[in-house]
Amino acid sequence: MTETQAPPLDELATAHLRAVLTSRPRPPRPGPLTTSLVFGRRTLLKLKHLPEQLIDVTAFPIMLTLMFTYLFGGAIAGSTGDYLQFLQPGILVQTIVMITMTTGSALNADRVSGVFDRFRSLSIWRPSALVGALLGDGARYLLGCVIVLALSLVLGFRPAGGLGGVLAAVALVLVFSFSLGWLWTTLGLLLRTPQAVTSLSMFVMLPLTFASNIFVDPKTMPGWLSSVVGLNPITHLTTAVRAAMGGTVTSGQVGVVLLWCAVLVGVFAPATMRLYRIRH
Amino acid sequence: MNAVQLAVTDGVTVAKRNSIKILRSMDLLGSIVFMPVMFVLLFGYVFGSVIDIPGMSYREFMLPGIFTLAVAMGSIVTGYGLTDDLQKGIIDRFRSLPMSPAAVLIGRTTADLILNVTSLLIMGLVGLLVGWRIHTGPLEALGGVVLLLAFAYALSWVMGTLGLAVRKPEVFNNVSSVAIFPLTFLANTFVDSGRLPTPLRVIADWNPVSAITQAARELFGNTSASMPVHDVWPMQHAVLASVLWIAVLLVVFVPLSVRCYKKATSH
Repeated sequence: MTETQAPPLDELATAHLRAVLTSRPRPPRPGPLTTSLVFGRRTLLKLKHLPEQLIDVTAFPIMLTLMFTYLFGGAIAGSTGDYLQFLQPGILVQTIVMITMTTGSALNADRVSGVFDRFRSLSIWRPSALVGALLGDGARYLLGCVIVLALSLVLGFRPAGGLGGVLAAVALVLVFSFSLGWLWTTLGLLLRTPQAVTSLSMFVMLPLTFASNIFVDPKTMPGWLSSVVGLNPITHLTTAVRAAMGGTVTSGQVGVVLLWCAVLVGVFAPATMRLYRIRH
Repeated sequence: MNAVQLAVTDGVTVAKRNSIKILRSMDLLGSIVFMPVMFVLLFGYVFGSVIDIPGMSYREFMLPGIFTLAVAMGSIVTGYGLTDDLQKGIIDRFRSLPMSPAAVLIGRTTADLILNVTSLLIMGLVGLLVGWRIHTGPLEALGGVVLLLAFAYALSWVMGTLGLAVRKPEVFNNVSSVAIFPLTFLANTFVDSGRLPTPLRVIADWNPVSAITQAARELFGNTSASMPVHDVWPMQHAVLASVLWIAVLLVVFVPLSVRCYKKATSH
């Protein structure tokens, strides 16, 4: 069977073809930072199109701050004003670390929907989808911090550490949250459904946040529980955040938090990458 | 077979299907069973030493509140299950079958009631381990359990309506949490409402969760003569107020959920 040859292009057609086909060299392949930022933007765009997903960043911080201040303030500290000074740094910690859980379920939803298979076909740095998701979530955490702090100031919270102390506290919370996010990405790739990720995340987070020094001084707890609370990373973070806002933070307190961050990233970032390679 | 009989028999079949689904969903089982247990242990020991309840231990005071919290959280399963079935197209398959349209809702709420029975049983056992005791007779205690389950059933219809209204599981998760959290915490669940600031006290005293919790405390005998007396009607007549709340919720939300179901399934 003979193949019919295409007729030769006339000069005009060739000129048109040259005009649409660029002769410039191909642009360089985007670097890891660029692609991660693009995926971070994608995370924020999802919020733009599904604003109800922002409920956990907007409604929850307000609810938690108001409820725990006024619900337990009188019963625990005798007055809501006194309790707010103790509670507020803890509420900041609890609110933001609770928000981190959605990272895993969102990632799992992407995995289930098959969008990750499309990302695989792109010539980009492989982990950028994960890193970008965590970076995008960083903006959500920051919004949560702003809401909690603004509301606390309205309610009467006055940080002795001033603006510098507050910024240091927020920085600590954000760094820890980014590190904790790797745990949820691991679960997001490990479990089958977003609901399973949410449920397991709650099992991890509820004991971590309640069995800590967020609400109550561990000295008032039974001995065995006080020991458990002392080993809890959330306790160390809350202690450092309280100290930063009170203007009494030490390098040791910050060091312990950063050590926990290093452990979380050191364990769960490689685990996430390995699962990502195996499953995608 | 008349319409009511058909709805009941088909409802039982759907309830069986939902129960099997729950049993196979470990994350769902876990969240309903272990979450309240976690609350018992965490609140009991974390706040137990710092919150003083006149004439009794904090754990005894808290347990009926935890029971109410658990059944309220359990009701979320109803709405979530319906949104999940809607999204996956299973309800469209049900529509093509010669079955009662009401069966989907009856089956869903019945299956979740069975789940709440399990949840209460486990929590009761954990409660006994941490020092909670029933100080009344078996009839009052049974009344307390029935009241909690009736409230769970009524709330299931509320959450079912909400689920059918929003239709998306992810959206329902957020909306239901925002609804359940204040409902269960802005009450006398963990702290006597007399200790709350005046605006919150008013909300707490008239909150259906407070009425159910107070009724459960009275029926289980977890009250003390040293505790302050509340001068608001729902707290003074907690059992009657609870029955009225349950009746109102059912009268309003059963027809409403049926209407939402018809709307959600009419393409």
